[in-house]
Amino acid sequence: MMSKKVLVVDDDPDVRSFVITVLDENQYIPLVAKDGVEGFEMIEKDPPDLVILDVLMPRGSGIRLYHKLKTTEKYKQIPIIMFTGIALNSFLKSQKVLDEFKGGEVPEPDIYLEKPADPEELAAAVKKKIG
Amino acid sequence: MMSTIKILIVDDEEIIVKLLSMSLRSDGYETFSAYSGQQGLEVFKSESPDIVITDIKMPGMDGLELLKKIKEIDPEKEAIIVTGHGDIDSTITALQYGASDFINKPVRDDALAIALERAKTKIALRKKLKDYTTNLEIKIAEATEEIRRRADFQKLLIKSSHDAIIAFNHEWKVVIYNPEAARIFGEAPKDVRNKMTIDELYTPRIANIFKNQFRNEKDKKVLPWKENIIKTKDGRQIPVRYTSDTIFENGQFVGTVNFFQDLTEIKRLEKELVQSERMAAVGQTVSGLAHYVKNILVGLKGGSYVVDVGIQKNDTEKLKAGWETIKKNIKRAGDLTQDLLTYSKQREPEMETCSPNGIVEELTELLKDYAISKGIRLTKELDTGIGEVMADPKTIHNSLLNIINNAIDACIEDENVSKKHEVTIKTYKDEKNMLCFEVIDNGCGMDDDTRKQLFTPLFSSKGGKGTGLGLLVTGKLIEEHRGSIDIETSPGNGSTFRIKLPYERPKALDIN
Repeated sequence: MMSKKVLVVDDDPDVRSFVITVLDENQYIPLVAKDGVEGFEMIEKDPPDLVILDVLMPRGSGIRLYHKLKTTEKYKQIPIIMFTGIALNSFLKSQKVLDEFKGGEVPEPDIYLEKPADPEELAAAVKKKIG
Repeated sequence: MMSTIKILIVDDEEIIVKLLSMSLRSDGYETFSAYSGQQGLEVFKSESPDIVITDIKMPGMDGLELLKKIKEIDPEKEAIIVTGHGDIDSTITALQYGASDFINKPVRDDALAIALERAKTKIALRKKLKDYTTNLEIKIAEATEEIRRRADFQKLLIKSSHDAIIAFNHEWKVVIYNPEAARIFGEAPKDVRNKMTIDELYTPRIANIFKNQFRNEKDKKVLPWKENIIKTKDGRQIPVRYTSDTIFENGQFVGTVNFFQDLTEIKRLEKELVQSERMAAVGQTVSGLAHYVKNILVGLKGGSYVVDVGIQKNDTEKLKAGWETIKKNIKRAGDLTQDLLTYSKQREPEMETCSPNGIVEELTELLKDYAISKGIRLTKELDTGIGEVMADPKTIHNSLLNIINNAIDACIEDENVSKKHEVTIKTYKDEKNMLCFEVIDNGCGMDDDTRKQLFTPLFSSKGGKGTGLGLLVTGKLIEEHRGSIDIETSPGNGSTFRIKLPYERPKALDIN
């Protein structure tokens, strides 16, 4: 079976190196983007099997990228793991604001992991979504 | 109505005395008789008559002698002299001695009546005058008492005032120096009042303020309240609020009154309040702090995991990456602790001779490579006239480092990637003798809400990457350095941060 591609979108190089290592260790192919804008470009070029998404980033936050993906027919099926320091409630509130502002309604994220997470926890979450 | 008038009749001729006495009694007078000058004097002393009628020629003490004695005892008594016909010399002498009237012998009833009427009128007039004088004296006494009472009240006011009140006369000599003034200036009133001049009481700096007010502001007599630090002769430093009033009378300078209010307690309370507000702010936002600490923990955990993997796989790249992460987060924890300590502690600036431009040079050298790696040009425009100053180089260094880093971040955050990003650092001295640093960036700028929250504890616009303490610490350092910080910003166009510090030459000009 071919290894699955996982895109990490995070502006923090430390978080990126951690997540990449976890993915490597669990035989996934890591792809990397430093912010929301770059993340969307990469998804358009080569849609991954899963996205691990940070919330607060300069230039196109995770809030906007999540909303955009979940309201775009082509990408709404891509599973997303939110991996962030922001509390879930704050994230949901921000999505509601975007719902009203941009139209549409997005589902709650399937998996919402708050930093810091253990490598096992992160690996288990990825495994749960894409095996 | 006058009470019964008492008349003393003196004559050596018994028959005349008796006749006159009878006649006068029937007219309603009370009479006393004496038959010689000596006897007349005694009766005068014992009865104190209002009018004395006396013959001049008498054996022993004559009338003139008696008149003299009487006038000596009481010059206000009326004396009518009875003279022999044509005795002009005696009459003149009698008038000189103070006789009020004279009649010729033999005494005629009508002449006597006229003389008595005149004497009575005089007595009445004199009584009126006396009553009037007495009244006036009472009124003057009352007025004097009122003036004294008011002066006492004003003295008491000055004495019990919570303001120090010090007044100088036109020769700059102290004339008023109240207990509060003695407390502030530490000199005993007895050594100051009417003894010291303004130059002896005040240090030259303070004395000149008030003297210049007199010289320069003749039209503006009242100085607006100002704040200053008074250095007393015994070396205490007292923060005060003061004002002064120059007094002119008919265009002539007559003196100056100075008022001082001791602000020591107020300043102490203010300091306490600021300190407790600061502590409260730190306390209230512990959750924000926890968030930042959590981010550090994420970094450390992630880093150690990467190191573990590196060790297992013998992968040097992984080891390096993990170790970098760990080191970076150790530094973040260190910086955070440092910021928290700086923010929560009172610190006096450590003034020393330093070169502001030199510090800017150091900083640009330090940050140049990092800025270039982010595509940002770092430039400086330094005023070489600044030279060396008295300042705390740590304050300047830390504040500028923080603000330049923010400026670089603002350029990185800018969504307009087509812009040529630039951060410029300027130094100059403004017209108010303040040393100014400007950090100008053309990065993302700030909206009003962000701008307003800049100095709110633990507010950060940088997501999890800011402690929310940077500007707060900078603001505090600048404030402790008696400086100010102001900001101009517009979203999308960039920001200018301006720090102003008092410009002090290395050798203090103030000799106090």
